[in-house]
Amino acid sequence: MKQMIKLAVVLGLLSFAHTSLAAKSWGITNEEKSVFKGVVVDVTCELTGDCPENCGAGSRQLGLKTEDQGVILVAKNLTLFTGAAEELHGFCGQEIQVDGLFTTHKNVRFFQVQKMRAVGGKWQKATRFHKAWAATYGGKPRKAKRWYRKDPRIKAIIERDGYLGLGPEKDAEYFGSQ
Amino acid sequence: MSINPTKNLFALAIITALLLFRPAFGAQGEQKTVTGEVMDTWCYVSQIMGASDFIVGTTHHVCAVWCAAGGIPVGLLDKNDGTIYMILGVGDNTDSVANSALMDIQSHEITAEGTAYVLDGINYLMIDRITEDKGVTNETHKIVGILPGEANPK
Repeated sequence: MKQMIKLAVVLGLLSFAHTSLAAKSWGITNEEKSVFKGVVVDVTCELTGDCPENCGAGSRQLGLKTEDQGVILVAKNLTLFTGAAEELHGFCGQEIQVDGLFTTHKNVRFFQVQKMRAVGGKWQKATRFHKAWAATYGGKPRKAKRWYRKDPRIKAIIERDGYLGLGPEKDAEYFGSQ
Repeated sequence: MSINPTKNLFALAIITALLLFRPAFGAQGEQKTVTGEVMDTWCYVSQIMGASDFIVGTTHHVCAVWCAAGGIPVGLLDKNDGTIYMILGVGDNTDSVANSALMDIQSHEITAEGTAYVLDGINYLMIDRITEDKGVTNETHKIVGILPGEANPK
């Protein structure tokens, strides 16, 4: 009986360690690994009452409404230079469990989601952005890792404003001298 | 004075109904004018690319455009007190993800009028109109170059 209790305690501890420390460190400011549950909400809807269907279907910043910390803004996912709306809008209004990192600096504390699941469901990596981007702009999702090099909206802005944002002439002066 | 139980029950029912059916949204907005730089909130707050003082302006312009297009919240960094407002929309365009109007003015110094909200410690701003746009004024590249290196065309 004693051995059974010991085994249960060990398994319990292992299970806790797995769920609370699963997120990978990114070495960010005041990083906190966290696994928690919350209901996916459209932040603008929470503030203003302007509530499109499906939390804006990817057009709105989303948060997780929790019992103890209020609405947590989810700012980031796992892919390069991308946010979390594409990862979470499919769960609009549902309670989900997320695994990721908090970062805090100055007056802001927000969350990077690395994995998420419907409560009781299977964990999914927060990498849906590539699939959504490829569906809009073409190509295969696995080829969309460097989407920001190919995105026509970005190309047009850089062509107009340059890499410094000061215009092509300033770019030529600065980068030409490097 | 007699107590009428029916009236009391009726009043209780009305109060309960009002509490149950009050709008789900509860933050009180405040009209505000903010002057500051349009910026990439993730790289600034996480400091994943270096000290936040240099993750603004020309140094970080291209990355800020990438991040805005990728759906990371775009912020307005108040030049007076350093408050970061998460921008929820501009005028009639209430997209807060990859809003083309915000992508166009990344790194610009602007003055914006709108409604400010605070929700669980985060400041948000729904911009009604931009009254001044000075373009990119923060020439941080002269001090630290381009960050990240991947954003350097060289």
